[in-house]
Amino acid sequence: MSVRTDNRLLDSPLIPVSCRRCGAEVLARKSTWQQTSVQWDAEATATCAQLREAEALKQHGRGLFLVCSELRDSIEDAARRGRLPILDEVDDEMPSNPIVE
Amino acid sequence: MTLQLNTDEIRQIEAEAAPTRFARGWHCLGLTREFGDGKPHTVNAFGERLVIFRGADGKLNVLDSYCRHMGGDLSQGEVKGNEIACPFHDWRWGGDGRCKQVPYSRRVPKLARTATWATLEQDGMLFVWNDPERKPPPPEVTIPRIEGAGSDEWTDWHWYTTLVNTNCREIIDNVVDMAHFFYVHGSMPTHFKNIFEGHVATQYMNSGGRADIPNPEGQPPMLGTTSIASYFGPSFMIDDLTYHFEYEDQKTVLLNCHYPIDANSFVLQYGIIVKKSEHLPEEAAMQTAIALGDWVKVGFEQDVAIWKTKARIDNPLLCEEDGPVYQLRRWYEQFYVDVADVTPDMVDRFEYEIDVTRPREAWQKVVEANIAARAAQS
Repeated sequence: MSVRTDNRLLDSPLIPVSCRRCGAEVLARKSTWQQTSVQWDAEATATCAQLREAEALKQHGRGLFLVCSELRDSIEDAARRGRLPILDEVDDEMPSNPIVE
Repeated sequence: MTLQLNTDEIRQIEAEAAPTRFARGWHCLGLTREFGDGKPHTVNAFGERLVIFRGADGKLNVLDSYCRHMGGDLSQGEVKGNEIACPFHDWRWGGDGRCKQVPYSRRVPKLARTATWATLEQDGMLFVWNDPERKPPPPEVTIPRIEGAGSDEWTDWHWYTTLVNTNCREIIDNVVDMAHFFYVHGSMPTHFKNIFEGHVATQYMNSGGRADIPNPEGQPPMLGTTSIASYFGPSFMIDDLTYHFEYEDQKTVLLNCHYPIDANSFVLQYGIIVKKSEHLPEEAAMQTAIALGDWVKVGFEQDVAIWKTKARIDNPLLCEEDGPVYQLRRWYEQFYVDVADVTPDMVDRFEYEIDVTRPREAWQKVVEANIAARAAQS
């Protein structure tokens, strides 16, 4: 089984964003202001202070680390500065769907 | 008139055959109470036939069911002491896979050893470790304990088992498939996030009630649910699922697990326990577990109806409001390659949160239209 490429990433891949707190570098993509994907690598997970803290706290491996608030803010900041595109706002070529009943 | 068909402009569905290799990982075969009666049990799994039996020493054993002597089916035999005796010639096999005794022979031949599966009995369930490389299970991927299972404050398991005739990747896809929860299951997702990391894939979903769908029989109006559901490995999902009602929250744990029979069929199981409360004493809590379980069963049947006729698709065509199907499959792939071939991208942390604004607008319209249609009928 080979895993193919997500059709959504062909024109708009994830791009690097660094955390302003710890400097961890991840790949991020924002479809809208509320929709974000974040790809970490081993180096980033080892660097992130909040993630390390959560790892230390959780027992039996069932605690769930939802989000690093510093990284989330850093990604939003990159979007506000125009470094990270909000795809919903730049992608005018795609036809938009009317809401149908 | 000439009709020009430019095949380049047609999106083609691509699909390789389902893998004939079976996922490395812990698989729940069912409740231990089903297997522990001192009789041998047959389970078809991982492309093979297994025999499960509890020996006199109390241990549950899982062996390849075909006797290495002449191919008899051990699961049709008899438990004798700590061993399973073949119905064909009474050869006795121990839980360690070794032939312990051939009663009519002076000696046991060399190499009288059969395949075994490592087992785990936990929280009322029996798990087996499947590994095509035949290595022992690493401790870091063990199944976590379920708080509530076996506790007086919670009900016993309400369990359900069914056979599904498709490759098990279909049910894995549900982890990321937000929109199908509306269209297939009548939910109203209001928050949806996935996180994959290591051998764990999580779906965090909140949902609201559907005003156009009647409540299950005997249930009060449900305001919504909060669900944190994680696959621990390729086949065992624990869902901490809370139902919100006006008068209180109802805490449940929903298990969703499966094991493959072969490349194109699997056994799907769910288990549910409900926390008892002031409003929900013993008997009522069990009734709730059964009622919610029946609701989940309907959900499974809704999925199965889709799977029955859908195509296997390796290149789904996704819109922005869809979840991370490709990234989930990349995570899932780690269980189908040798440990040495697991690449960082299969296990690195990945987060994906969907903006539900647009889906909710569209779905609210559908709900309103359904209500209007029903009002017009009556």
